Amino acid sequence: MNAVAGFMEWLANTPMSVEIRESLWGYPIIETIHVLGLCLFLGFTMMLDLRLLGVAMKKTPASEVCGRLEPWMVGGFVVMILSGALLFYGDPAKFYGSIFMRIKFCSLILAGLNVLIFKLGTYRKVKDWDLSDVTPAGAKVAAGLSLALWFCIVAAGRAIAYFLPPS
Amino acid sequence: MMPLVQWLGHTPIAQGIHNSAWLFPFIEIFHLLALALLGGTIIMLDLRFFGLGMTDKDLPDLARDVQPWLRLSLAVMLASGFLLFMSEAVKMYTNQAFQFKMLFLALALLFTFAVHPRFTRPGATPSLSGKAVALVSMALWACVGLGGRAIGFV
Repeated sequence: MNAVAGFMEWLANTPMSVEIRESLWGYPIIETIHVLGLCLFLGFTMMLDLRLLGVAMKKTPASEVCGRLEPWMVGGFVVMILSGALLFYGDPAKFYGSIFMRIKFCSLILAGLNVLIFKLGTYRKVKDWDLSDVTPAGAKVAAGLSLALWFCIVAAGRAIAYFLPPS
Repeated sequence: MMPLVQWLGHTPIAQGIHNSAWLFPFIEIFHLLALALLGGTIIMLDLRFFGLGMTDKDLPDLARDVQPWLRLSLAVMLASGFLLFMSEAVKMYTNQAFQFKMLFLALALLFTFAVHPRFTRPGATPSLSGKAVALVSMALWACVGLGGRAIGFV
């Protein structure tokens, strides 16, 4: 057993992890919060991506859509991460062994890098294309990648629950 | 109603989804993605009643902008939801969480298309009654989500 798997075993035996795993309401409540957070975070992310693709809210400057939605997206993201971490914490040894958990995690990191690259690149000159009919290629690529990666994250998330490794 | 539900559950499409290991979760992916977009557009619009979120836009402008995405996501939601229902028709039909969800879905749809638009008409400004409408709208849709999540647990 490697060190990480050993750590996951230890984590699984901490009292709170056992509590979440064995309580009747623990999982359903945390999962509901995870899904409601999804509406706020992913819903806004999709609307922003659609704006960057030049198909939604075309008459609103891109910087305005981004600026106004950002605080809510950050809030929604925090809810997603916290509730997601608790779900993971409820059965760490099992989730760590799931290939879909790993796919989800890698896709999350790629989605984060995608935002970073967009913010440091195309978005710096947003004033040049804020209200133009066609958004720049950089914005379209970032939005397309974001939508594709979030599709993978949702798909992998769903698959985690259905194809858990045997314990 | 029951004979119709039984018939739906025995259609080849329903049986195909039921007997597949991955079709149900695959359809759920689209149900969830549409949920995000539907929830996102509704929250965005309802926040605006409180002077939050997309505050540079007038309420009627924002309502018009999000309308096509709200309808598209709702269509995907209903289509994927119907397929999921079919595959477990009899079990779902008698599931109390599912019944709760359908009741609130009917209320939420009625509210979204009959009441909500009156408060986002051209010329409409955020008002106290508008805020109440926004709260009811978010609460009704949250109940639909809660009911949906509960289906798998009751």
